[in-house]
Amino acid sequence: MATPKAPADHFTLLYFAAATSFTRKQHDFLPAPMPLSQLYDTVEAKYPGIKAKVLESSALTVNLEYVDAEEEGAKGGQGTVIQSGDEVAIIPPVSSG
Amino acid sequence: MDMDMDMLTSTDDHIRRLRDQVTATESQLRTLRAQLQQAEQAGESARQLQEAYQGGFPAEWIEETLGALDDEAVADIATKLRQDGGFEGAPSPPTPPPTLDAREAVAKQRRWPLRDEEYKRYGRQMIMPEIGLHGQLRLQNAKVLIVGLGGLGCPAAAYLAGAGVGTLGLVDGDTVEVSNLHRQILHKKKTVGKLKVDSALEYLQALNPNVKYAPYRAHLSPEKAGSIFERYDIVLDCTDHPTSRYLISDTCILTGKPLVSASALKTEGQLLVLNNPPRSPGDTTGGPCYRCVFPRPPPAETIQSCSEGGILGPVVGVMGVLQALEAIKLITAKPEPSMPDWMDMTLDGSPPASAEEVKPTMLLFSAYSRPQFRSVRLRSRRNDCAACSLQATITHHSLASGLTDYTAFCGTTTTTTSPLSFLPSSARITARDFARLPTDGSNILIDVRDSTQYSICALRGSTNIPWNGGGNGSGEAWVQQAIDMGVLSEYEDGRERFVICRRGEDSQMVVRAVRERFGGGYADGLEGDGEVDGRWGGSMGVRVRDIRGGFGAWREEVDRTWPKY
Repeated sequence: MATPKAPADHFTLLYFAAATSFTRKQHDFLPAPMPLSQLYDTVEAKYPGIKAKVLESSALTVNLEYVDAEEEGAKGGQGTVIQSGDEVAIIPPVSSG
Repeated sequence: MDMDMDMLTSTDDHIRRLRDQVTATESQLRTLRAQLQQAEQAGESARQLQEAYQGGFPAEWIEETLGALDDEAVADIATKLRQDGGFEGAPSPPTPPPTLDAREAVAKQRRWPLRDEEYKRYGRQMIMPEIGLHGQLRLQNAKVLIVGLGGLGCPAAAYLAGAGVGTLGLVDGDTVEVSNLHRQILHKKKTVGKLKVDSALEYLQALNPNVKYAPYRAHLSPEKAGSIFERYDIVLDCTDHPTSRYLISDTCILTGKPLVSASALKTEGQLLVLNNPPRSPGDTTGGPCYRCVFPRPPPAETIQSCSEGGILGPVVGVMGVLQALEAIKLITAKPEPSMPDWMDMTLDGSPPASAEEVKPTMLLFSAYSRPQFRSVRLRSRRNDCAACSLQATITHHSLASGLTDYTAFCGTTTTTTSPLSFLPSSARITARDFARLPTDGSNILIDVRDSTQYSICALRGSTNIPWNGGGNGSGEAWVQQAIDMGVLSEYEDGRERFVICRRGEDSQMVVRAVRERFGGGYADGLEGDGEVDGRWGGSMGVRVRDIRGGFGAWREEVDRTWPKY
């Protein structure tokens, strides 16, 4: 299933692996712009428990580029801002094989 | 007069000395010119040899060239070829053999670097410029360690053995099970119960006996990992658990080996080439390690194995095949062509990007998404990484002494042999006892497996309300759904509820969630709060119990024909 385009003033949040299992979704559209430092709290509000169970051990990418959620959080207002049309992905480690 | 004669003699002497000097200098000049010419010729030959070497070269050509040029520069290249190009048995500077026969025998032996059968076997890959003879020789001299011979390791090993890798190390302590066979392509019905290493050896020996196989019939341990890794050039992580993933990555950093890591679950896979180029801890030009990408392991209770989460054979197969591909690319990579000085600057004056500056990537495969493949650019090494930074705390010593405790780092996990048990026994019933209960409608059976499993096999009269990890984990949503469906009721109706799942863990979560919602105690009222208004949790206690051990126990204790999947 191809991910449809995000509506105006929104960005696409893609879920992989355990993030898909937790949200039971492949993606969400969230309002943009949004500071990256607020992303995890926004997702936690939508899916209580996801932060500890999934997000904190996941890799995070913005437009296919790895970003460090913790470093971004420390930057506060100076950090990356997710723009409308961006593709953000939550990539939990898959360990099975 | 005497004086005049003396003067004349001295002038003659002077002229003679000058002439001698000119002659000597001219001779020296001639020698220098000859040496220059010789050096230039040698240089040219060396250049040609170098060019030929980059594309693959015929063995007898280099031997002839070596014989003709007895020059240090050429000897150096030959040495380099032997080391770098993996040219085992390359001709060394000739020492005349005693007889003509012997010389012929040696020449015959040396003429082609591969045996006749090998040209045929590897020809299809060798005729590609990416491989060539040069690449084939490098493969032949390469030593690759494969940790794990499951869904990833099987295809990876098959392709690397097929490609003619010189030595393949195989590590696994598991035995083959029937449930492996849909994806672990080296194993077969006949080898069920055998060690995976031995089962794989059987297949690989039959596929390509030219490869040297080194079996390690045990799970990788932190104590032994270092000494095993030392013997190899590249490591493939084909394991199935976070503890081994961190152990393998750490050991690759400590031993300076590039790591090709892959994983798969359900319909998705991930591929990472780590510690490439392999550099010592603190060297930021080295590739990131597994900890740089995933510094924190996922909570132990969220980790799913293939037996719990499921796995589609070709999904894990694709990932294993890609691992073999990345390993072949690493082994056969040609050295960067040297550029003339004037090319060192690009048009805008910035230094050109070398291959090493290209950021590493993670490949995501998602079989049911479009696009199926996504390539994500990764970060470089973390400057606070526990394994590959200057602040690294993981050392050979910490591994060997057990100071680096992977089980503690990743958390304790439940295994398939011992499911969690956290309910008091009063809230549980054995499958055998449940089977003896009257089937007169006085109790309700709730099956909490997902609908896919429910449709594989289910008990007649049961109601399916999938637990699905309890929604947000608390189970509130599940309880609400059960109430909405009329399966649970706020009011006592005289009927007892029984909850069953696949292995007997989710059913306990459900019972706990129901109790949290309605309060009160368990079935026999021993722990009840004793509310007396006739509601759930009242004097009757919460009348809901889990069936101990789920359908696994049902099969063992009640119905031997119950499908085990």
